[in-house]
Amino acid sequence: MRVRFFAAVVAAVMCFSAGAGRAQNLTVFAASSLQNVFEEIGRLYQRKSGRLVRFSFAASSALARQIEQGAPAALFASADEQWMDYLQSRGLIVNKTRKSLLGNRLVLIVPVSSAASVELRPDFDFASLLGPDGRWVTGDPTNVPVGRYAQEALTKLRVWNVARSRLVRAENVRVALAFVERGEAVAGIVYETDAALSKKVHVAGVFPPDSHAPVTYPVAMISANDGPHAREFLRFLESTEAREVYRRHGFSIR
Amino acid sequence: MSPQDRLKGEFPFGGTARSAKGAPMSDRLRFDVLKRLGDFAFECDLDLPLAGLVALFGASGAGKSTLINLVAGLLQPDAGRIAIGPDVFFDAKERVRLPIEKRGLGVVFQDARLFPHLSVRANLMFGFKRAGARVLAPQVTFDAVVELLGLATLLERRPHTLSGGEKQRVALGRALLAQPRLLLMDEPLASLDASRKAEVLPYIERLRDEFAIPILYVSHSLDEVLRLATTLVLIERGRVVAAGSVAEVLALPHAQPFIGGGGAGALLFATVQSHDEHYALSTLACDGFTLRVPRLDASIGMRLRVRIPTREVALALARPSDVSISNRIEGVIDRVQASDMAGTYAEARVRVGPSAVLSATVTRESAERLALAPGLRVWCLVKSVALDAGALAAARGSVATPVALREPANDERLRVDDPPR
Amino acid sequence: MLTTAELEALRLSLQVALIAVIFSLPAAILVAWLLARFDFAGKSLLDAVVHLPLVLPPVVIGYFLLVVLGTKGPIGSWLAETFGIRLVFTRWGAATAAAVMSFPLMVRAIRLALEAVDRGLEAAARTLGASRLDVFFNVTLPLMLPGIVAGCIVAFAAALGDFGATITFVGNVQGETQTLSLAIYSLTQTPDGDAAALRLVLLSLALALAALFISERLARRVARFIGRA
Repeated sequence: MRVRFFAAVVAAVMCFSAGAGRAQNLTVFAASSLQNVFEEIGRLYQRKSGRLVRFSFAASSALARQIEQGAPAALFASADEQWMDYLQSRGLIVNKTRKSLLGNRLVLIVPVSSAASVELRPDFDFASLLGPDGRWVTGDPTNVPVGRYAQEALTKLRVWNVARSRLVRAENVRVALAFVERGEAVAGIVYETDAALSKKVHVAGVFPPDSHAPVTYPVAMISANDGPHAREFLRFLESTEAREVYRRHGFSIR
Repeated sequence: MSPQDRLKGEFPFGGTARSAKGAPMSDRLRFDVLKRLGDFAFECDLDLPLAGLVALFGASGAGKSTLINLVAGLLQPDAGRIAIGPDVFFDAKERVRLPIEKRGLGVVFQDARLFPHLSVRANLMFGFKRAGARVLAPQVTFDAVVELLGLATLLERRPHTLSGGEKQRVALGRALLAQPRLLLMDEPLASLDASRKAEVLPYIERLRDEFAIPILYVSHSLDEVLRLATTLVLIERGRVVAAGSVAEVLALPHAQPFIGGGGAGALLFATVQSHDEHYALSTLACDGFTLRVPRLDASIGMRLRVRIPTREVALALARPSDVSISNRIEGVIDRVQASDMAGTYAEARVRVGPSAVLSATVTRESAERLALAPGLRVWCLVKSVALDAGALAAARGSVATPVALREPANDERLRVDDPPR
Repeated sequence: MLTTAELEALRLSLQVALIAVIFSLPAAILVAWLLARFDFAGKSLLDAVVHLPLVLPPVVIGYFLLVVLGTKGPIGSWLAETFGIRLVFTRWGAATAAAVMSFPLMVRAIRLALEAVDRGLEAAARTLGASRLDVFFNVTLPLMLPGIVAGCIVAFAAALGDFGATITFVGNVQGETQTLSLAIYSLTQTPDGDAAALRLVLLSLALALAALFISERLARRVARFIGRA
């Protein structure tokens, strides 16, 4: 009696852990800003091929580190080239599958209640936008792509030193968006596509493209989990159908 | 002649309710309360003058502790009224309920209850600091208490380092220093072993005699009661069975079940008259007769209580001369009755003085042989050898309080009168 | 050995945890008192609510705090309008999150200590002329002290370690809310941040061990002081 109980427990635990390594399931790691667009693409793909795609959306930095630790992702879509370089330099991707499919723009947002509008040129008055004690939010510039772009842009526009002491570091661009939506932060820097999703924020200005490296989304196959199904999905990502979806969500096509 | 008539005004040691220090007439405790405890209803109706040491005596569960807790305010009555003097502690009808801390009482618990986080000195001063205006002209001073209870060496120690007896002495001191109008002692010696009891008992005697603070003392130990009490109240199942001076109460027939047949015996009051150095004996003057006892370490004129166990008393119809027994006391038989179920023993109550009674336990056979009957003149024979130090105890200081004794009818309110001025 | 940023995280962690404990102590004593000494309608509800931070995911607690105490929340907006107090992105908010997470631990320890106090001693104090409040401060509280000390130290350690509630409620602001846990988290995302992360991990370990050690010693000291040892 006790032996049977014990065997049942062991079987349950094994089922729990076995599920993770199923070859049928396709896991894709993608930057947070790709959440809405990739989910739609995933649904489309499922309808066409009958196969389910699982996504994990987070800051590209977090995802890259997880992949480095052996996370079971088959594909990785990063929000900047640096994190893909990071994996490539460690020999973790199938180099020839690396492609940059999409582009985006960087915007300054404010809560919808604020009517602020700022022309984002060198030495623009960020201080008065922030007020005496307001804070602004973006991804952590030490590792999150949107934060890196933001720091680059603000440095180029010569307002980084004013801005840095008021920065709230979010784990990813969606968290930054949420803080501005809630009105806790008086301003934030996110991608144009994120701002478009929310009715609670308003774009105060668009960063000039020469103020930062172009926002591109490289995609690549992870060597350890390469397989026919993964390749098929990658091809779908490059298809005309997919491009239509990207365009509709506000991404630029490369 | 009813007991009331016989006893009124004839108490040998003075008829005024005055302490040795001449304090004025004492407050009365008027206690008329109903309290339900589980399926036992405690009902008590009592009117007592508070002076000297009033002992509440009865078996465990009789309600003695309940009474103390109700007076102190640690328990609340369901109905009734409690007052001391003009101060009402509880009145169900008038919705008066005086909080514990405003009653001006001192309580000594069975388990000492010293505050472990304070030194002995701080414990002692705890009540003193909270006694408000009463400390302006304190009746009890710190130094007097320390001296009386022998606490000088203990002052800076912590309670957990003290022995059981030491703890109780500190507890006594602490309660005293709160300048109480009445001290309540709930079986303070019950958790001490025999030698500790013997250590602490004299301190309570001293306390009783030195300070004019009345004491309400609960105990189920007859020994303690006989040694300490000036007034005795017998309680059974929440009802007062008898109340009055110790001697009187002990002599009552319906008090016998409390005392245990033949155990305690009679209690007499005596004064040291003289010492016989040659024979190492002392003579005590009692009410109308004298007693020869082994040499006492007591000064002439000192008042004592003498307990004469009933088994030590033999009876004779004529004054025997050729017998070794030194104490031959003349008296008149009050009553004779069988004292056990088997029919072996009989107890004879003999009046040997205006307020002195001796009880003798004899075999029923002897009682019939001598034709013992009320009214018969007899001689009580008590061996001096039987009257050792254990039978004697100090009875100094304030003593003479409650006098007129009444045996209550069933529902009658029991009131113990003040003696006539 | 430690960079300025790391030292700042350490100092902030200690400050935040200390404030959290100091401010929740009176509330914890009150709640423990209510739960230990009284029976009332809603007592089990109070007990359950107090223990929620122990059983709910910390992020849920953080989110709840954000909704209620955020600038737009019912209490948060009142605080901002009436007193000009803002909690999100500030160290006071971080202290609030830490306090909420460690509150149940404090209440448990204090309640145990309170239940261990001999009520006969309290009764004795009353007979000596002490009012109920007097009894609480001069008898009950001193006797509860070892339990209070233990509760504070456990709460301090728990406050030091909070992550989920803090990052959800007050975000990651260097110098204001970036406690050790948040700093370590950031470092694990940063390329080449492993060495620094490890340093901070060892530091946290040292702090936790120190807290436990001090708690033991202090509790024993206090117990001796109040005559229990």
